[in-house]
Amino acid sequence: MATTEKPTMLVGIDDSHHSLYALEWTLDHFFTIFPSNPPFKLVVLHAKALPSSVVGLAGPGAVDIVPIVDADLKKTAARVAEAAKQMCSSKSVHDVQFEVMEGDPRNVLCEAVEKYHASMLVLGSHGYGAIKRAVLGSVSDYCVHHAHCTVTIVKKPKIKH
Amino acid sequence: METTSIAAAETSEAIMQPEKKKKLKVMVGIDDSEESFYALKWSLDNLYCIAPEASQDGSDGCKLTLVHVQHPFQHFVFPAGPGGATAFYATPSMVDSVRTAQEENSAALLSRALQMCKDKLVKAETLVLNGDPKDMICQAAEQMHIDLLVLGSRGLGKIKRAFLGSVSDYCAHHAICPITIVKPPKERSK
Repeated sequence: MATTEKPTMLVGIDDSHHSLYALEWTLDHFFTIFPSNPPFKLVVLHAKALPSSVVGLAGPGAVDIVPIVDADLKKTAARVAEAAKQMCSSKSVHDVQFEVMEGDPRNVLCEAVEKYHASMLVLGSHGYGAIKRAVLGSVSDYCVHHAHCTVTIVKKPKIKH
Repeated sequence: METTSIAAAETSEAIMQPEKKKKLKVMVGIDDSEESFYALKWSLDNLYCIAPEASQDGSDGCKLTLVHVQHPFQHFVFPAGPGGATAFYATPSMVDSVRTAQEENSAALLSRALQMCKDKLVKAETLVLNGDPKDMICQAAEQMHIDLLVLGSRGLGKIKRAFLGSVSDYCAHHAICPITIVKPPKERSK
């Protein structure tokens, strides 16, 4: 069964536990079944926000804040990447590529789809549970509309009461 | 060859594996668009857990459900002929004939879908529902505890930035389970 090139699956993660759940879901359903030879190539992508977008129009003090914000964002990105790596290795999935790209997550994810020729994009969705009918987070909504590949939205199951 | 490697590979996993087999219940929405058949084809190709070789013991990896939602037939139909806009109520015989035609249509669609599944040696069951596709699909996914919902997306291809069809968009927002939206393949190759 020597396939020339495995289709690529791209999982977008951010700092939320929803996206880690999405990664876990993907690993469980597509990778742990085939521990020796997974049918997909997995790329885990974290989109790190640009400090300028976070700081916004902060005014005169912005110049000082930017490096601090940037450092904080880098720390967050490192933490996220670490959590993702740990999850992958705990599921014994080793052939994973981790990437951190800067920019607006929406564009970053869609561009990454083009760059990796991903056949599938998996995203978590915040759900904004306060509203009864779960609305997709804006990033997942954007990607579903604009990514050129199949998109899977994984929602964290709510506890029914 | 994969079965032996799966058995031998993991240490603690190997004991857990047979019991812990993820029985993924997948539901694919079918209507008369080509995109939904492409979505079905995509699922058959890519959701490897459906493939027979993934199941070593008798229990299959996944269960595939094909769902087709029929639009309810409006009884107050049809402006009449050229004379003017005289709407009339459809007679019972008309209703019946339309309903029969609808049923034949859905049967044809589902048999085509089942044939695709059979070609890939995948067992599938069909489900025909009546009503608004958006609601019925979400409800069915909830009631049947579906693990993954797969829908095609019309794309409304004329518009350059592909928009989802309203059904897939609605389901992406409201379904409780993970949902996969399969877009029709682009003309240009990757």
